[in-house]
Amino acid sequence: MLHRVLAPRTTVRAHCDLPCGVYDPEQARIEAESVYRIVEKYNASEDATFRTRALVIKEKQADLVKHHLDTLWHDYFKPEHLEAVPNLHELFWSANKQVSKVKASTNIDDAKKLLELIDDVDAAWKATGGLAKTRVAGRPG
Amino acid sequence: MTETGPRRVRGALRPGAGGPLGLRGLRGRLAGPWRVAVAEASMTPSISEGDWLLVDPTVDRWPRRGTVVVFREPGSGELAIKRVAGRPGDWVPFSGAWLRLADDEAWLLSDADDAALAEAGHGRAVDSGSYGPVGVDALVGRAWFRYWPLSRVGRLPKASAPPFARGPGPAPTSD
Repeated sequence: MLHRVLAPRTTVRAHCDLPCGVYDPEQARIEAESVYRIVEKYNASEDATFRTRALVIKEKQADLVKHHLDTLWHDYFKPEHLEAVPNLHELFWSANKQVSKVKASTNIDDAKKLLELIDDVDAAWKATGGLAKTRVAGRPG
Repeated sequence: MTETGPRRVRGALRPGAGGPLGLRGLRGRLAGPWRVAVAEASMTPSISEGDWLLVDPTVDRWPRRGTVVVFREPGSGELAIKRVAGRPGDWVPFSGAWLRLADDEAWLLSDADDAALAEAGHGRAVDSGSYGPVGVDALVGRAWFRYWPLSRVGRLPKASAPPFARGPGPAPTSD
């Protein structure tokens, strides 16, 4: 009762930025799948204009993959996660290197290798409790 | 950065000035707030989230450096709490250069540094370092006493806050 009487009605903010705390390798995976499909379509086409567009779009999607990987690496993963995933840094390094390779390549094997590396990142995210900790209600079923 | 830069409007035409004819005259100031609850973490360790503070809303000019003030944040207009780090006429470091505060401006900073905030899972502090000087028409009051939680009741610690010492470099300009 007294507590309620004393409670201020006005709130003031000691303002700081709030990270949203939602992270999921699925974001990187979807962009990497776009890259994969674009490489398929590129190789199936003989239309020079289409192939040029495909390369431009592949470049953009690959940049998004890098962005999402970096966000996971810098913001989600913490030093204590190295215990569960000792090769964490090497994993992100290889995955980002593979994005660079895919940018310069139209070989479907390179795009496939990127998907596999992102699956490894996904496993690391799950091994550190990412699914329970960062998604609002898990992944859509 | 928010869109509100330094305000350079001075004199009788300044809107909302503290004088009796201003929008926030004596009656407006007496309306409070006299008590506030603190949200967010940028004033730790001196003031924590959830603290309840007493505010003196009758002040109409920037108090001494080191005083904790409640004000309307430039851009958002939301009530915010920070510490006075620079007063009208002071030079303050901003964005790699020096800035001179106008007659009605203060420089308001957070107590917590970014490293401590990051460790506690928060983002960067948002203060004059991001939105620049704050005009006195945004001043709402001076926070002076913590009355909750009971374990930490007492006057708010005043930080010793000497004026910024202007370092070597190119001569600063006032405008």
